[in-house]
Amino acid sequence: MEQTNGFYDFCIPYNKDDKVLRGLLNELVELGYKTIAIEQSFDHSKKEPGKRGSEMFPEPHNIENIRQEFANKLKILQRITILYVDVNVSHAMGVSLNLRKFNLIAGQPKTEAALTHCCTSFNGDIITFDPTAGSRLLVQRKPYLIAVRRGMYFEIKYSPAIADSNNRKDMIKVAQNYCTKGKSRNIIFSSGALHEFQLRGPYDVANLSYIFGLSENQGKNAIDRFCRQLFLRAESRRLGKTIMFVKGNGPIVFSDSSDENQSDHDVPDEMDALVKETTSEEEPERECSQANKRLKVA
Amino acid sequence: MVRIKNRYIAVQIVPYAPVNTLRLNDHTLSKCLLQNVEKYYGVYGLGILEHGFRVKYCNERTKIAIIRCLHRGHRYVSSILPLITLIGDVRAKFRTLYVGATIIQCNKFIINHQRQFLDRMMGQVASAKERQDLFKRVMELDMDR
Repeated sequence: MEQTNGFYDFCIPYNKDDKVLRGLLNELVELGYKTIAIEQSFDHSKKEPGKRGSEMFPEPHNIENIRQEFANKLKILQRITILYVDVNVSHAMGVSLNLRKFNLIAGQPKTEAALTHCCTSFNGDIITFDPTAGSRLLVQRKPYLIAVRRGMYFEIKYSPAIADSNNRKDMIKVAQNYCTKGKSRNIIFSSGALHEFQLRGPYDVANLSYIFGLSENQGKNAIDRFCRQLFLRAESRRLGKTIMFVKGNGPIVFSDSSDENQSDHDVPDEMDALVKETTSEEEPERECSQANKRLKVA
Repeated sequence: MVRIKNRYIAVQIVPYAPVNTLRLNDHTLSKCLLQNVEKYYGVYGLGILEHGFRVKYCNERTKIAIIRCLHRGHRYVSSILPLITLIGDVRAKFRTLYVGATIIQCNKFIINHQRQFLDRMMGQVASAKERQDLFKRVMELDMDR
């Protein structure tokens, strides 16, 4: 399976300004994060419902150069946050191809009905909420338990809580609601920081769990183990039912010798490419493995 | 043997704009912390915490401080550290390095931490004189108080 290391921060908002983004990432490296996700938000309710079937979701931003710059310091994922009101979104998500290019999918419901839908049948990984809108939306017990059983994770962003005291109160209210309704299961922390000054170290974040009503263990897991589980779940959603995960380490070689062909027939159909590992230099290897993954996903 | 359990929290202060020294001493730091505890937990939190609370060590050049508090109340301090953005009159944030039960362990950790920092920075400094200065600046640690 794909290797990821702790600690995780699954919400870094994308910034057009390269300098700001770079500053954020440098600070993250400094604080000891290893896996992060760059967030891109998309408002589904603003789209006119006229055209159907066509692509609704945007392409992921091109961050190849940043990825290369932080190649062995950070693992950078991409995440989309879908803001929505009605349940039509699930159809659009079913037909979308662009959506599969994102590593993580988060839902941000705007109404009570959408929140229930998000917990029960949303085809994503994370349920988040709008920190500036206040605490009008509080999750009910039943949808919460269903979401936990489906393996979805609830996200708490901490940087709005640092910036403003009204947001802080709402954030504590929402977090304590998770605590009363279902013992704060399946909760992850992420930053959502717009500026590097709003970022905090992983242990600081784990300490914040005290005011959010989580136990010490849950707080630690919320930035480490649960995020790993979430990542694995997201990968399995992207790839479909998977028993094995084969990743090429070198260029793909379709072997033509009879011996190799024989063994080719034995393997299940999912592994359509027999990948042969060859010892080549470091740089092409990485590129190839990237291209290989694309091929599988598309 | 029964003894009073303490917790020692080693923190680093990261200012908003990089400066060489912070105008900061034990007194202002502890006042700032207690004020913030009162702001978030009210009089109750202050009552639990105030006995046994002390800033044991505060170095304004390496920007590292050690806070002592009773074991019972240490989560009141550690949970509000991320929320503080103003220390004294400087915009700065706290970064928790270590929480230990004895000051010796904290000391060991800080020395290790500074050494790692030094290893990273040494490569970027050109002249030998500057290197010595840097070494002196980073590894300074007077625990005689």
